Amino acid sequence: MIGFLTKRILQAIFTVLVVTLVVAFAIRLTGDPALISAQGGGTVTEADLQRIRVALGVDRPFYVQYFGFLKGLLTLDFGRSFVGGTPVSQLIGTALPATLTLAFASLFVSIVLSIPLGVKAATTRGKWPDQAIRIFSLIGLSFPNFWLATMLVLLFAIALQWLPPSGYDGFSSYIMPAVTMGLILTATNVRLVRTTMLDTLRSQYVMVARAKGLSETKVLYKHALRNCAIVLLTFLGVQFGGLLGGIVVVERVFNWPGMGTLAFDAVAARDYPVLQSVITVLSALIIGVNLLIDLAYGLIDPRIRTQ
Amino acid sequence: MELKFTRSLLGALALSTALIAASPSLAAGKLTVSLSQDPGSWDPVDTFLVAWATVATNIFDGLTYRGPDLKLVPGLAESWQVSEDGKKITFKLRQNVKFHDGEPFNADAVKFTFDRLLGDEGSKGPQKSNYAAIEKVEVVDPSTVDFILKSPDPVLLTKLAGYGAMIVPPNYIKEKGEDYFNTHPVGTGAFKFISYEPKIGVKLEANPDYWGGAPKISELDYKFITEPATAVAELQAGRVDIVVPPIIPISMVPTIKGDSRLELMSVPGPTVDALRFNTRDGITADVRVRKAIIMAVDRKTIVDAILAGQASEIVSFQSSLSLGYDPDLKGLPFDPEGAKKLLAEAGVKPGAPLQIDIRGNDATMNEVAQAVSSYLQAVGLNPTIKPYELNVLLNDIIPQGKTGALFQQKWGGWTFDYDNTAYSMYHSGEKWNPYEKDAELDKLLESQRPMTDAAEREKVLKQIAAYVNDKALELPLYNSNAIYGVNKRVKNFTPAPDNRIKLNEVTVD
Repeated sequence: MIGFLTKRILQAIFTVLVVTLVVAFAIRLTGDPALISAQGGGTVTEADLQRIRVALGVDRPFYVQYFGFLKGLLTLDFGRSFVGGTPVSQLIGTALPATLTLAFASLFVSIVLSIPLGVKAATTRGKWPDQAIRIFSLIGLSFPNFWLATMLVLLFAIALQWLPPSGYDGFSSYIMPAVTMGLILTATNVRLVRTTMLDTLRSQYVMVARAKGLSETKVLYKHALRNCAIVLLTFLGVQFGGLLGGIVVVERVFNWPGMGTLAFDAVAARDYPVLQSVITVLSALIIGVNLLIDLAYGLIDPRIRTQ
Repeated sequence: MELKFTRSLLGALALSTALIAASPSLAAGKLTVSLSQDPGSWDPVDTFLVAWATVATNIFDGLTYRGPDLKLVPGLAESWQVSEDGKKITFKLRQNVKFHDGEPFNADAVKFTFDRLLGDEGSKGPQKSNYAAIEKVEVVDPSTVDFILKSPDPVLLTKLAGYGAMIVPPNYIKEKGEDYFNTHPVGTGAFKFISYEPKIGVKLEANPDYWGGAPKISELDYKFITEPATAVAELQAGRVDIVVPPIIPISMVPTIKGDSRLELMSVPGPTVDALRFNTRDGITADVRVRKAIIMAVDRKTIVDAILAGQASEIVSFQSSLSLGYDPDLKGLPFDPEGAKKLLAEAGVKPGAPLQIDIRGNDATMNEVAQAVSSYLQAVGLNPTIKPYELNVLLNDIIPQGKTGALFQQKWGGWTFDYDNTAYSMYHSGEKWNPYEKDAELDKLLESQRPMTDAAEREKVLKQIAAYVNDKALELPLYNSNAIYGVNKRVKNFTPAPDNRIKLNEVTVD
C-alpha cells in the first residue's frame, strides 16, 4: 500500500512539473508583458520597454525564470503579479475558495438532481417518466453553458429580479452559477445513474433483497445505489477536472472572482507568474482529487481494499 | 433650579446647532460603478489603464485639472507661469490642502512625486517616458515649485492633469512602503480609499475636507465586470448605477435605450480606428492604389449602419476633440468609379488579392472589415480578412512589418493631442511605423515638439494631417463614442470623453 501510494504521488508530482514547464514555455511565446503594460501610452521607446522588462525580470533567460519559479513553489512563494505587483499567493488565496465552493455547489446540485432522476428512469424503463428524463438529459447535454447562464440571468435577475445577475456575495449569488454548471453535469450523470442502476437491478442480490421483503426504497437506495456509487464516484472525479476547466466561462458570465477569472485576465495581460501559478494549482488539484478518488474506492467497496 | 435647567437646555441647543453648522454639508447615498478591468495597482506610476484613471481621478489630484469639457484649469496648483524659452514652469501651489492621511500637501510633496516618477520607482512602470521632458523639480518655497525642463513640452501641462503626474504623499509612502501604497492609495482627492479586493472591486468614501468642496455622495463602490452582457445585466437589475466605457457594445445600445429606468449617454471619445497601409510592399506601395482604396469605401454608411451612429467618420487619424483636428480638411470622397480608374491607371489587375489584418477580439471591426471588403470587391479587388489575436498583432505583426496590405490600428491618447498619435504612427523608426520613411514628414513632426505657442503648433499639426492625407498613408475610418449606461436615479452626471469621471458633484435619488 505504501509503495503504491509513493509511486502514485511521485507520478502526480511529475505530471504537475510537466504541466508547469509547458505552460511557462507556451505563454512566453505569446507576447511581451512590457509592451502590454505600455499599451495606450504615448511614445514608448525600446529603452522604456527594456526598463520594464528588467523590472519584471523577463529579460533573464527562460531557464533562469523557470527555475526561479520552481524554487518559489517549494516555499509556496508564487511571486508577484506583473499587473500591480500583488503577491500571487494572495490572489490565489481569494480566488481558490471562490472556485472550489462553486465547483462543489455545482456537484451538489448535480448529485441531488441526477440520483433520484436516474433511479426513477431506471425503474420506469421504457415508460413515460424514463422517456421524459432521457429527453431532458439530451437537451441538457446540447446546451452550451454560457447560453444557459445568459437565459437564467434574463429570467431570474432581469425579468423577475429574484437573484443578483452576477457577483460573489452570499448564498443567493451561488444559485445561478451552480445551477448552470449543475444542470449540465446532471444531463450526463442522469444517464450514468440510469445505466448502472439498470445493470444493478438485474443482479441477484437485488432479487434476494426483494425476496427478503425489503421495501422498494430500501432496495433501491441502500443496496442497489451503493453499488452504483463506485462508478459514479469515478466519474465525478473525472468531471471535477472538466468542471474546473469549464468554470472559466461560467465565472466570466457571472463575474465570479475565481481561478478562471484570474487565469483569463492573466492570459490577456501576459501575467506569467499568475498564469503559471493558477495552472499549477489547478493541475495539482485535479491530480490530487483523482488520487483521492482512487483511495476512496476502498472505503466504498471492501473488495478493492483487500486486493 | 428651573432657570438652571432652561439655561442648560439652551446651552445644549446652541451647542447642537453649532455642531450642525460646523459639520460639512451632508453627503448621502452610495453610487455603484462598473469598470471593465482591475488595474491591479493604484499607484499612479504603474499603469496606463483607463480603468485606473476612472477611479484615481477621485482619489488623487494633479497640479492641473482637466474635466469632461477638456479645458485645462488649476488643480493643486493655483496658477503657473511658463518662461519665455518654455524650459521652466513655475507653479504656485494651493495652500492648506491635506492628504487623506493628514499630512500636508506642499512643494516637498510635488518634488517627491516627480523624483519618484522619474527615478527608480517610475522606471518599473510605463508612465515615466511620458514625463521625460522634465529634468528636475526645484522647491522655491513651501508653496512654489519650479519645473526645469530639458526641452519645452507643449503637452506637459495637460499631462500634469492625469496618470503618472498625480501628487502622492511622501511620508505615507516612506513609512508604509511601495507595496502597501499600491493597494492602499492616499491622495488629496474628493474621495478617500476604503478597501480594494483584487478582481472584485474598490470602495471609496467622501472626503469631507476636500479642497474643492465635500462630495455630495457618501460612498463610491466600483465593481470590476469584464463581460459586457454582465455589466448591462447589473445595470438593468439596478445594482450598478453607471457602466463606464469601453464595455457597452453597439449591439446592446437598444437594450439600454429601451429601458425606461436607464439612460444612454454617449460622447465622442479619444479612440480612433483606421486601416493603415503597407506602404512598402505590394500594390499598396503605389499611392494611386491607396487613394483608390480610400475612395472605394463609404465610411458614412459604415458609421450609420454598423456603428449605429455611435461614432463619427474621420479624415485624419484623430478625434474631433484633439488639438490638430482640422474641420476644413477634406478627405477623398466616396467614388467607386474614380477608384476603378485609379486602379486601372496603376496597372492593378481585376481580382488582385489584398489582405486586411484586424484584431480578432474586436467585434465591431470584424463587421466593419466585412463591409470594407465588399466595397473593395465592388471595385475589382479580392480582399481577405485575417483576424489576429490582439497581442500577436501588436507584438509580432505590426512592429515587425509583417502585415498584409491593410492593418487595423486603434489608438486613443487621453491628452487629445494629435502629436501623441502622429509621432508614433508616422515618424521614421517608431514602433508603430514599420514601413514609412519620409524625411519631410519627420521634419514636420519634429518641428512642432518644442513649440510653446499653441496656435503655432496647431498649425503644424494640421499641416501634418494634410500631408498624411495627401500621401494616403491610411484609410481613416471612425472616431468611436464613449458610451455610458446610467441609471436615471443618478443626477448631475457628466460623461467624460476620456473616462475620467470625477463624481464629487453627482447625487443619487
